Amino acid sequence: MGIFMILFTLLGGITLSAQSSINGALSRKAGTLETTLLTFITGTLFLAIFILFFGQGHLLALLNAPKWQLSAAFLGTLYLLLTVMAVPKIGVIAANISGIAGQLLAGMLIDHFGWFNSLEIHLDGKRILALFFMVLALYLIYRGNKRSAAEKELRSRTNPA
Amino acid sequence: MRPIYYLLALLAGAALSFEGAIYAELGKSIGQVETSFYNFAMGTIIVGLLWLFFGKGDITHVRRAPKWSLLGGLLGVVYLTSIVVSVPFVGVGVTMVAVIIGQLIMSMVIEHYGWLGSEPTRVNKEKVFAVLAMTVSLLLIQ
Repeated sequence: MGIFMILFTLLGGITLSAQSSINGALSRKAGTLETTLLTFITGTLFLAIFILFFGQGHLLALLNAPKWQLSAAFLGTLYLLLTVMAVPKIGVIAANISGIAGQLLAGMLIDHFGWFNSLEIHLDGKRILALFFMVLALYLIYRGNKRSAAEKELRSRTNPA
Repeated sequence: MRPIYYLLALLAGAALSFEGAIYAELGKSIGQVETSFYNFAMGTIIVGLLWLFFGKGDITHVRRAPKWSLLGGLLGVVYLTSIVVSVPFVGVGVTMVAVIIGQLIMSMVIEHYGWLGSEPTRVNKEKVFAVLAMTVSLLLIQ
């Protein structure tokens, strides 16, 4: 069961990457805000159908939920908007690695201070070492992208087809 | 100019973490699928307003665009649902590691072959080492 779940979650990561490149492609012709809006509209429609048939929670409890919990929607919007902006400029890998680094950094901060009722896990040597490797990964991606761009330019110069 | 976009992507990831932590709390009171529905519905309202006032693109392009390029919303739903379903079985830590590894490998493959409308960019050793460094970092955090 566990292995099956891990495979399922791998699929989740795969779809997130596919989403960022698909949206990047659409945004070049349709625009950033337009692409983000379409993503939200279609997602809402799919989930509406799903909830009508399989929903077991209490959607109306939304009205009584604390407002700080509801404000997370602004963060989700920010994520999509920024990703749609970044992918066409720096590429799928660079946008995803930078996004992951931001995710882990913020995750470590949340853990360290125990924000939002989460488990308190303090920054220790291992986590600081992890930060170092993350910065290294970002630097390598930046270098790798610069090299790919230089190679492409060289090819188009020597072979002006 | 370019480093700004790296910073924006970094910020996007940070927003995703805060969102996840907050929605975990909301999910306890209204249900998990309901939480992602709320996220998409509220997002539609926020971006709808932004688009009305600041939209400079061409929304009618969606009628002419290839159909596969309209699937971003469905993929987002698959992503959220896979997380919601697997966390109770294997925990947040393992879930995040699996998601991120899937994300890294898939984005390399997509970009290498230039799938889904991305610029084809060859995988080079810097990128492979970047993914390795990221994996080490993940193992250390766990």
